[in-house]
Amino acid sequence: MRGSLPLRIALLACAVVLFQIGVVSEVPVFGVSVDLSPLLVAFVGLLCGSTVGAVSGFAVGLLVDLALLQTLGLTSLVFTLIGFWCGRLREARDPQAALAPLLVGAVASAVALVGYSLMEFMLGVDAPVSLDLLRQIILGVIVNTIVALPMWALVRRVLEGALPEDPRRRRRRRAYTTGGLSPLSRA
Amino acid sequence: MYDKSVRRRRAVLVLLVALSLLLLTAYFGEASGGRLHQVQRGFLTVIAPIQDGANKALKPVRDLFGWFGDTLHAKSQLSASLKQTDKLRHELIADQAEKRTYKQLLALFHLDQLGIGSYHPVTATVIAKTPNIWYSTVTIDKGESAGVHVNDPVINGEGLVGKIVATAPDGAQVDLITDSTMGVSARIGTSTATGIVQPKVGEPNDLLLQYLPANTTPSVGEYVVTSGTVASPDNSLYPPGILIGQVTSVNEESAYKSVNVHPIANLHNLDIVQVLTSAAGSRASSLSGAVISLPSGQTPSAGASASEQLASTGAGG
Repeated sequence: MRGSLPLRIALLACAVVLFQIGVVSEVPVFGVSVDLSPLLVAFVGLLCGSTVGAVSGFAVGLLVDLALLQTLGLTSLVFTLIGFWCGRLREARDPQAALAPLLVGAVASAVALVGYSLMEFMLGVDAPVSLDLLRQIILGVIVNTIVALPMWALVRRVLEGALPEDPRRRRRRRAYTTGGLSPLSRA
Repeated sequence: MYDKSVRRRRAVLVLLVALSLLLLTAYFGEASGGRLHQVQRGFLTVIAPIQDGANKALKPVRDLFGWFGDTLHAKSQLSASLKQTDKLRHELIADQAEKRTYKQLLALFHLDQLGIGSYHPVTATVIAKTPNIWYSTVTIDKGESAGVHVNDPVINGEGLVGKIVATAPDGAQVDLITDSTMGVSARIGTSTATGIVQPKVGEPNDLLLQYLPANTTPSVGEYVVTSGTVASPDNSLYPPGILIGQVTSVNEESAYKSVNVHPIANLHNLDIVQVLTSAAGSRASSLSGAVISLPSGQTPSAGASASEQLASTGAGG
């Protein structure tokens, strides 16, 4: 079952990037476009862990850079860090709150937008740092946050059957079902 | 086991970051014809048909999203357009009112060129009209405090309007020439024959010039103007040459001729008028007083012949 995870992620990434380029980018909301790719990377990391998250981030970033003729490696670098950080969040905290994906999506979007902007500035792109840019970033984070929950539901639905089993989660589930009184768990 | 997992995780991260930086550096450093650029263009060549197909396939979805966006945009535009239309409508109404006022004032100015100025005209605004279809009475915003008196003639840029019938400190009532109580001494065009203009019975918006001498030969289309004489002792002295109306038909059924006159002044749309106050000591005032002081046998109650005997103003003789 686990063997199909890379395939599912790859298919999902291709579909999301195509949908992003073909549809979402052409429909401005509040003057900005929703960016599904950082959400995808963040949620893959949140579901699959840091290593898969980082690799997915790199791959999705590379795909975006190639498809959009952007500077190769730029989006990959940002998305790798996002995927890794979200994976580490799952491994270290394993957030179970219903609104956790919302918060993760918002932070991932903010990191992607700010990180990308910083990288572009570091590479010498001649663009003014203005309130307009700040407004674009804030609006971008807001619209991405709005679509974070549907995106989370989609990613989880697609990857559900192929997700790696987390030993800590398995222990927690057993403790819930047995009331924590199992002699095996105490042993 | 745990350390191995951590090391592997970190190694993957470092590797990917290093790879990204390597790609970044290489891509940024090479020319536009470099290998990475070629790879990128090759990838685009491969993916372009897919993108094109996806673009066409997803067009309905894009249109759907676009429809929502366009609808919201259109709604905001509609709201702004309605506000703008409202603003422009108000501006247009104000402009039209100003234009009308300007035309009326300009006409009054031209009237002043004819010597009306000697009658001490007081410009007033119509503030009320009788709410019936006849509009035989209007109220103006100038009264005794502005020197307006009963029987003062009222004109506008088009012609004779009526006379003052009642005054208050800051207002006055005007009987229009179509009112049944009105009677104005008038003549046709350049003719010296005078008659009395009164409202036509049954047609309050039309006038009748009566008591014209039988030898008068009026024709349709001629203008009827004030003669500058009074029609009765209690009537006002209308300055001569003020346009009253235009002859529409001639009646010859009696000993005296009479003609139907259509008033020139648009009495349904009065905004600004002038009251010829005939201030004490003025030529008009003194002449009016002289006429009123005439013996009763010479009053115009005897008809047109009597009206012709009345003193005419020097200007209107």
